[in-house]
Amino acid sequence: MRIPGYIPFAVGALTALAAGWAAFPHAIYQSRRQPVDFSHKVHTTTAGQKCDDCHAFRADGTFAGIPTLDKCAGCHAAPMGTTAAEKNFIDQYVTPNREPQWLAYARQPENVYFSHITHVKLGGMKCETCHGSEGDTDSLRPYQQDRISGYSRDIWGRPAAHSAFRTEGGMKMDDCVDCHRSHGLTHSCLDCHK
Amino acid sequence: MTTTRRNLFKLTGGAAVGAMLTPAPWRLITDSALWSENWPGIPRPRRGEVTFQFGNCSLCPAGCAVRARCVANQPVSLAGVAAHPLSHGALCAFGIAGHHLPYHPGRLKSGPAAEANQAVRAALGQLRGAERCAVLDLRPGRTASWTYRRAMAAIRNGVYLAPAAPIAINLAAAKTVFSLGAPLFDGWGTPGNVIAARDHFRLIQAEPVESRTAIMADLWLPIRPGSEEALALGIANLLLKEKKIAGLPAGFADRLREFPPTMAAMHSGIGEQQIAALARELQDNGPVLVLGENGSPYAAALNLILGAPGRTLVLRREAPVPDDWKKAAPVADLASVPDGSIRVLLIDESATGEALPWSAIQSKLAEKAVVVTFAWSKEGYGRQAAFTLPTAVYPESLDDIPPAVDSPAAAFRLSAAWVAPPDGVVNPADFVAGLAGLAAKDALQERAAAIRKSGRGSLFVPSSATSTPARDVKPDDFWKMLQAGATWIDDLDANAPAPKLDVPALPAGTASSAFPLVVVVTEPDTPALVSPLLSKVYQESNLRLAPESVALHPSDARACGLETGSRARLETDCGSVAVNVTVDSDVPPGVVQVAGGPGIRKICGASSRARVVRS
Repeated sequence: MRIPGYIPFAVGALTALAAGWAAFPHAIYQSRRQPVDFSHKVHTTTAGQKCDDCHAFRADGTFAGIPTLDKCAGCHAAPMGTTAAEKNFIDQYVTPNREPQWLAYARQPENVYFSHITHVKLGGMKCETCHGSEGDTDSLRPYQQDRISGYSRDIWGRPAAHSAFRTEGGMKMDDCVDCHRSHGLTHSCLDCHK
Repeated sequence: MTTTRRNLFKLTGGAAVGAMLTPAPWRLITDSALWSENWPGIPRPRRGEVTFQFGNCSLCPAGCAVRARCVANQPVSLAGVAAHPLSHGALCAFGIAGHHLPYHPGRLKSGPAAEANQAVRAALGQLRGAERCAVLDLRPGRTASWTYRRAMAAIRNGVYLAPAAPIAINLAAAKTVFSLGAPLFDGWGTPGNVIAARDHFRLIQAEPVESRTAIMADLWLPIRPGSEEALALGIANLLLKEKKIAGLPAGFADRLREFPPTMAAMHSGIGEQQIAALARELQDNGPVLVLGENGSPYAAALNLILGAPGRTLVLRREAPVPDDWKKAAPVADLASVPDGSIRVLLIDESATGEALPWSAIQSKLAEKAVVVTFAWSKEGYGRQAAFTLPTAVYPESLDDIPPAVDSPAAAFRLSAAWVAPPDGVVNPADFVAGLAGLAAKDALQERAAAIRKSGRGSLFVPSSATSTPARDVKPDDFWKMLQAGATWIDDLDANAPAPKLDVPALPAGTASSAFPLVVVVTEPDTPALVSPLLSKVYQESNLRLAPESVALHPSDARACGLETGSRARLETDCGSVAVNVTVDSDVPPGVVQVAGGPGIRKICGASSRARVVRS
């Protein structure tokens, strides 16, 4: 049977389109699990904590980022519940005093300067504006790392396929520029890439 | 259905076109670009605890207090210490980027220390008659300087050579500062101290170009290039009309007669009436301080006439030293050493200071002289020395910083040692002490103990921004606090006599017609001090002259028959060198701007006038 000349071309094109739009955006990222199954929701609702109780500013205005084990051990010196995650946390980290190797979704590369205090204290921004509704989640999502550049998915890469429909703010360069532009603020290269 | 080669090509072509309409190829390109910036071979700053450490910058004699932000004990940014009584929180551009210096591409990390030691010892064993072993110290007044002096006292025919220490200036006591082109706000003295004192004095700046100092002056006198001496003599002429001042050099009165105010006005381009008003102001609005080029006889003469000694020029005590150090070799001037008499010369240029032209040093060297220089970069005397031994650089070395010229009281502070030096570096003081069999490892601590024992002065602690009388600090704590960035500041000596102001002999002649252009060196003497990042940006922007090139005003270039790109010879009374010419209307008429380069430095080091001749 003789097939029309355009069919192989169309098959090739459709296959590439499907792979490029559906498979590639997943394949480019490597998923890694966080060391501890942490629930923000339990801490913000049951324990009644606020973001800055753990993600605090230091006395000099710099942002401490992810809390260290000392901070966690302040409450979790002994198990606070009977869940497997709690037992794992106490046994693996608190008791041997071993720092969990958290994978920071929001860590910017070395060539980016970002000041939390400028945005939070001076700009009056809420954490959710950039970090999304992280505080309401019951478990930590996998950390997705670009296989080539090594950057976190949260901070690098234009949204492709389904992630194009993401509505909350983000921590990619385009998000920063869009926000600055919409607020009539300057956004020169050297503001962040000093 | 058959698979033909044509169909395979069509399938591949379709796949290629389809792929171009997906994010995949574009993302792979950008990700690969990012990977190339972050590949594993690129060094990364360590992550760790953020801490703050205090210290003092030793890049220049100002010794400004520094607060370093460290990540995992690695300094990542430097800033001033606002409450510091000497530096008042200021830090210059070099100081802010000082922590880059250990990674400078011109950095020396290893050198022939054993060979140098052997050669020096052999030469010392062969000293004949009056042949000397000398140490040339570019930054005298340090504890290391005392080690050199003690070592030279213990070595046969040892001589300690250092530039003469300038008389200390009490800027806070000045009501009027008359500057003959001195760069008061361009890095002179301790920048923070000058800025802090600025509100209390009236500044009159006589300078051909509108420099930063000129901009910040209360009155800028745009004199003609090279006419500082004419203006000074014109003012002195008016001030001395009916007065006689002891201490003025021979020939001063004769020179004054050559320069009545009319002549001064003609040379400087400043009106005769303005010169007269200036003289009146200097006389009536004292205490006055006159600043000129280093060693300017005209500035010194005006200071003497206006009664600056004891008021704005003060005698500063030195920080105490242990009693057994006082049997040390005296400080000698290079000019006092007979020509051809130095068999072993050890030059410490690890701490920058006033460099002497090599031609002045070379004439003092004996036949088969062994010259060893201690330096952290390839710049400097290393080009002439037989051995260049690498030293630690700020902020690797623990060394003390003598007080700056604008510090009326003695001070003792230690430079920061926040970064571990490479294994191959040599401590110059230990090297020289070893030749004399001295133990000088703990010299800094011994001197600190002597200062504490004297009970004089107070200790400023930067972490708490407090000053405590030194006698109230425990001896052990005193040393620990100094290591943590504290500064000991001596009490002002209320009974100190006025310093004796030696006005140097006046140079013969004024503006020479043979050398009609005034030399303006646009590069610092120690370019290696500049952070490589600053230097790269600056060079790539084409904002500075390339080495071995000069810039002239269009009118001067025309007079010499030169244009941009011409090859010419720059001639001074010290020699000549081939240069490239740039014509620049921003260069004032009568000035030749010269850039760095060994040839230019050699002939312009001791000469302020030149001519440019087409080659």
